[in-house]
Amino acid sequence: MSDLNPQRTSIADALPPPLPVHLTSERTLAALCIQQCILQSARRLLAARGFVELLAPILGPVTDPGSRGAKQVDVDYYGHRYKLMTSVILYKQAALLGFDKIFYVAPNVRLEPPDAASTGRHLAEFHQLDIEVANADRAEVMGLANDLVAAAVRDVCRTLPAELEQLGRDPGSLAHLLRERFAEMTHPAAVATLNGVGHPQSPDGEIDWEGERLLSLKQHQPFFITDYPKGSRGFYDRENAEDPGRLVNFDLLAPEGYGELCSGGEREHDYATVVTRMRETGENPAKYRWYLDMVRAGIPRSAGFGIGIERLTRYIGGLDAVWQAAAYPKVPGVESP
Amino acid sequence: MTAPTAATALSAPGFPEAAVRRRARVGAGAGFPPSGEYGHAVYGAAEHDLLDTARLVPPVLLPGRLATLIELGQEPTHLDVDLRSVVGGFHSPLPMYISAFGSTAACADLALHVSCQAGAAGLPMVIGENVTPVNGYTREDGMPRSLLPRVRAYSQSLPDGCGGVVVQQSTEDADAEVWNQVYSDPAVEPLLATGRLGFELKVGQGAKPGLGGITVVDGESPRLDTQGFVLTDLVAENADAEGRRLRFGTPGTFTAEILRQQIRLMRNNYPRARVWVKLPPGRDIVEAVRVATDAGADAVTVDGAQGGTGWAPEVFLRAVGLPAGECLRQLAEHDLPVQVSGGMWEGSRVAKALAMGAVAVGLGRAALLAAEEDPKEGLTRLLDALTLELRLISAAMGKYVVGELSPEDLWFPG
Repeated sequence: MSDLNPQRTSIADALPPPLPVHLTSERTLAALCIQQCILQSARRLLAARGFVELLAPILGPVTDPGSRGAKQVDVDYYGHRYKLMTSVILYKQAALLGFDKIFYVAPNVRLEPPDAASTGRHLAEFHQLDIEVANADRAEVMGLANDLVAAAVRDVCRTLPAELEQLGRDPGSLAHLLRERFAEMTHPAAVATLNGVGHPQSPDGEIDWEGERLLSLKQHQPFFITDYPKGSRGFYDRENAEDPGRLVNFDLLAPEGYGELCSGGEREHDYATVVTRMRETGENPAKYRWYLDMVRAGIPRSAGFGIGIERLTRYIGGLDAVWQAAAYPKVPGVESP
Repeated sequence: MTAPTAATALSAPGFPEAAVRRRARVGAGAGFPPSGEYGHAVYGAAEHDLLDTARLVPPVLLPGRLATLIELGQEPTHLDVDLRSVVGGFHSPLPMYISAFGSTAACADLALHVSCQAGAAGLPMVIGENVTPVNGYTREDGMPRSLLPRVRAYSQSLPDGCGGVVVQQSTEDADAEVWNQVYSDPAVEPLLATGRLGFELKVGQGAKPGLGGITVVDGESPRLDTQGFVLTDLVAENADAEGRRLRFGTPGTFTAEILRQQIRLMRNNYPRARVWVKLPPGRDIVEAVRVATDAGADAVTVDGAQGGTGWAPEVFLRAVGLPAGECLRQLAEHDLPVQVSGGMWEGSRVAKALAMGAVAVGLGRAALLAAEEDPKEGLTRLLDALTLELRLISAAMGKYVVGELSPEDLWFPG
């Protein structure tokens, strides 16, 4: 595996110190203040646009199956095997029966494979700013994601220059993302770029971790990758009828090697399509009973996304590893308080 | 349930009277082997097929051997035959692997012995579906037949650079997230780090094509989760069978697109693992193999109608599915290499399968029986016998790399 920046990898491999040391470190405090500013910025923007904030569910009979190789956490719920939320996607769609625009600051738990510890951007427990909009299309929510990230950067740079300085982050490196909209590239274009620089990338799957990092290193502002192939995502991202096998979805990646910040897309809402897509993703539709009953009865067309809050904090603060943006970091495979 | 008296007995010469009478006594369970055998026997069709009728026929004139003679500077012997193979992305000393055994008692108790010996031999091994949901994942679950001990037993004497463990997951046990659990388990990391972990998508099996798992359960089965399973009560044929029920899983619905996307998702989600696919011997086997191959599977296994099982309806054993040889014949016409299983235990059937285009063969019941015959050495000795037979056959054909066996080495009567 080529590594353009071996120093970064070795820093990312470093594990959190004992919790009292971590929680009293000036760097941690600066990162958490930046995180608070990001959340306040997002809530302000979303409230101004008519979004309703809901409190996130923590467990349920099923959860989002669409995370790469990560194990869900089983919980005994009065004798039934329930799951801690890996994301609130199913509940986001349900909430649109009531409100047209909703969001959560949702805790998620994913028991990522231990090798995810070395990416610098995986936590077993993390939070997402999780947004869903009824009757919206992909372009609308991509625009919203762009606005949210730009607003967070603007607010952090304006109100927390001392914290950025504490972390060694030059606000100048963030400035140009405020001037223009984020660029877009399609998944096939990203695959071609990676193969062109000698990084073999499957056209049928997710851009792998190293591939995302290589693409991200070439950029100076966040950028979108759109149109992922079907075999790379959960059943809920909508397949493009004009381009079968391709999804009407996107990832937002941070530049400078920080990688993925956000995933989103338009959602499937047709019952027969959802059942078929469940099978294509190896799922047993029977266990999604409540969800399928709801879809069968009718849910709105929608689009949405989830932004990793610790990841966005890491990017804006210029942190080496995402655990530095968590008060109680849980690095995959590592026993933690 | 009283037997008819001599005075009233009706007889039906030439008609399967005894079988009909058993059905009349036992009902639905009569379509299966006697329930007392459950957990103590393994079954499979005795179907004769092309692999049985074909003969291996060496040539008289051996230009291939001359080439080896020139290279060696002496007459080659069977010891010069290279049996090493790449089996589903793993290096193996033989063109073979150990097929999956599932959760039934007959398999589970012997599986640890098989695991030890297969690991020591460096032979790739599949661990069956349903093991985690029925028998648990770790020994700490209080389940000695669980999955992780099999992996440990296999790994403890595994030589460097060969072998691999392939963990099956069917549609039935996807709910248990077996693959996610294995993939994120630090205990499995040494296998992952050396490229020796795989996952097998079980689409179906040869003994009961078109059906999902069938097991016999009783009310005390501790991990029985009836959700999603159909249960049929059995009439007891004897005291042992009191209160037992048949439990039917579903095979899961596949279309070409569902199969293709499931394989792609496996490659996407488990980039460090090999991807295997096990198919039942269906009439569209050529299309199914092509879809699986094109989707990027590292190995596609076809389990012929002779494939073994812990439990299956007798009508399926007797009358359902394509025999292994016929699958190979159809696939060879389209140049689609596969792994094949079903009735493999001695060198001639293995050699014929390889000559018909198989890249490797799976040992199932043979491995179990060998491990029961001698838990320490039985499988090792069975492999010794197979090794010698394969070397002798291949040498007789003048082929010193086993993968060079080809249809020209076979003669089909008629």
